[in-house]
Amino acid sequence: MGKYLRFLSAGGEMGSRIREADWSDSPFGPPQGWPQSLRSTLGICLRSSIPTCIYWGEELRLLYNDAWSFIPGPRHPAALGKPAREVWPDIWHIIEPQFQSVYDSREGFSTTEQLLEMQRFGHVEETYWDYSFTPIIGEDGDIVGILNQGQEVTQDVLQRRRAEMLLALDRAVRPLTAADEILDSALGLLATGIPAERIGYGEIDTEADTISVARCWTDGSMAHVSGTHPLAFFGSELGGQARTGEVVRIDDMESDPATAEPGVRERFRAIGLRSGLVVPAAGRAGTKAAIFAHASQPRSWHDHHVELLQAFGKRVREALFRARMETELQDSERRFRLIFEQAHDIIFTATIDQRITACNPAACAALELEAEEIIGRSIADFMPEKDFRRTRQMLRHKLDKGGTTNYDVTVIGASGREMHWEINSTLATDSEGHLIGLHAIARDITERRAFEERQKLLINELNHRVKNTLALVQGLALQTFREGREPADARAAFEERLVALAAAHDLLTREKWEGATLATLIDDSMRAVNRGNERRVTASGGHVQLPPKAAVSLAMAVHELATNAAKYGALSNPDGTVTIGWHVEGDRLRIDWRESGGPKVEKPTRKGFGTRMIERALAADLGGEIRLDFAPEGLCCSIDVPLPGMDMDTAEAAE
Amino acid sequence: MSGAKFLVVEDEAIIAMSTEDMLIALGHDPAFTAENLERALEIVAAGGFDAALLDINLNGVESGPVADALAERGIPLIFTTGYGEIRVPEGHQAATVLEKPYTARDLENAIAGLGL
Repeated sequence: MGKYLRFLSAGGEMGSRIREADWSDSPFGPPQGWPQSLRSTLGICLRSSIPTCIYWGEELRLLYNDAWSFIPGPRHPAALGKPAREVWPDIWHIIEPQFQSVYDSREGFSTTEQLLEMQRFGHVEETYWDYSFTPIIGEDGDIVGILNQGQEVTQDVLQRRRAEMLLALDRAVRPLTAADEILDSALGLLATGIPAERIGYGEIDTEADTISVARCWTDGSMAHVSGTHPLAFFGSELGGQARTGEVVRIDDMESDPATAEPGVRERFRAIGLRSGLVVPAAGRAGTKAAIFAHASQPRSWHDHHVELLQAFGKRVREALFRARMETELQDSERRFRLIFEQAHDIIFTATIDQRITACNPAACAALELEAEEIIGRSIADFMPEKDFRRTRQMLRHKLDKGGTTNYDVTVIGASGREMHWEINSTLATDSEGHLIGLHAIARDITERRAFEERQKLLINELNHRVKNTLALVQGLALQTFREGREPADARAAFEERLVALAAAHDLLTREKWEGATLATLIDDSMRAVNRGNERRVTASGGHVQLPPKAAVSLAMAVHELATNAAKYGALSNPDGTVTIGWHVEGDRLRIDWRESGGPKVEKPTRKGFGTRMIERALAADLGGEIRLDFAPEGLCCSIDVPLPGMDMDTAEAAE
Repeated sequence: MSGAKFLVVEDEAIIAMSTEDMLIALGHDPAFTAENLERALEIVAAGGFDAALLDINLNGVESGPVADALAERGIPLIFTTGYGEIRVPEGHQAATVLEKPYTARDLENAIAGLGL
């Protein structure tokens, strides 16, 4: 190589290609004749590690270095020495004006992130470039060529753009809680970064073998495909890929073997689909989703498209999941809030040092305070010292052993009202298990306690009455059977006395043991003994209410009088009559029993139980005076008892 | 001691009567009977008996004052009660309690315990 060709002495592959090429037929002519400006510039070009080329002459014919040789793709090495217009028909509309501006201004031109849609590997590619055009001034001062240096920044641009889009996506969907809004927002954003006329999001149901497109974006030139579609629509191969969650990339379905199955292309044509990309969306385990992009023309899908769809799909799933969780949380919160608000039970939460942090209306009602007056206070404020110590003890128990404690405490309301609460209390922890306080459900068992007390009293009282009645029955038995009478006779008398006692109890039970009226008592007692002889008995008097004990005594006394009358007195023959009258005189009740028309009365030689009963029972139990007059024409019994213990008001009212 | 004089304090006449009969059958004398607190206190104040049978509950009133009056005079007593849960008046926990209904034998044993 001669000295004059030293400028070609380096430059790797391109250096040797230029050296070895036959330039004699080209407008360049043999290198020996190349002007100094070209030689110098080419020398720099071939020695530069930066992608560099020279557009020379009026036709802007190309000379370039190794670093630049990758830029035109398969157009290298044929591009060497060719005019720019021939090499770059795809981007000529962009670079031609830039060349022109250099010629016009005689100044260098540079650009950054210039979009150049290049046809490099059989399809249009979206590429970005930082480059400069620098005029090469010839020996006569005219522009003889343009030095171009630059590099592809597609990856940087796409990555940054993706990052920006994802950031915008995050911002856009963060405030959204409705799934449709999230999807619409995401798909609209995605449309600005993906060369597609239709973009959608579908959930794949592998059991039903369908894809449900919830939302779908189109630029208006393609129809929406929302709805549920069988995966078979896409043919067995593509359907299978969608099912297993693979990326489906169809640059041109008319030529792609994956769509060769009969019917698939027809179906695709029907929805205007020529080229498509389906990317599985990473999401919750167990469910599958996909995000897809459709184009009406053949399109080469790139990894960065896949990555963008994947990133979007992931975020959309996350946003949907978050939205669903938030909605569920809100619903759940609402539900629990409602339970909290409406519960009859008292519910409250407290810090670990027993300061109340929340309480429900039932708690407010029980304590007779507003929630604001309760929250922040210690539970010690609402109970006696002794009961507060018990809660401390229970808290320690929970801290030591965990679980729930169930205990009763006395609680004092704002008005000083004492309550018994049954408290069920549990330690509260956050999702990581850290102790954050305690919550308790309490029930006001004051009424239940009172009821239990009352019930205990009632049972005791019942026991007392039963025992007392048994003692009475014992007394009746002892009295009845000691008289030395015929056993059959005594037994009959005993039975009658038991029946009379039972009747008196029946009467009191009917009156709820609040007492009995004298009229009812006499009526009942007479009817039991004197069945069929009612018209021979006249009973009249005002309304007098007797207390229970007096009623039983009087009933037993009337029973004895009636029995005596039926056996020996006025009711023992067909004609006798009994007149019973009573009235209130001041604070005393007078009852007169008068028999007439019976057999001649003889004073009994000894006092039988009946007589003793009448005298004693009425005297003792009623504290009155009893006069029994065994007048020959008929027995008279005068009962004169004080009214205290009886219902004086009603007695007077009856007068 | 046979033939002791008794005060029977009982608000239920029929029960009082059978208690009296039981006492007579056991060879004692039911000399006095009271059906309420006031009457019982009058009789205790007057004296003239050796021992008392005292119903704890007289028409809803506890008979403690009668028991106190008896104790003051050193007169032994036996409580009777219809209540299962026995609430003996304060200061008289040592006294025998007969639960109603009681038998003549129960009464006999209780009297024997008085050491008359």
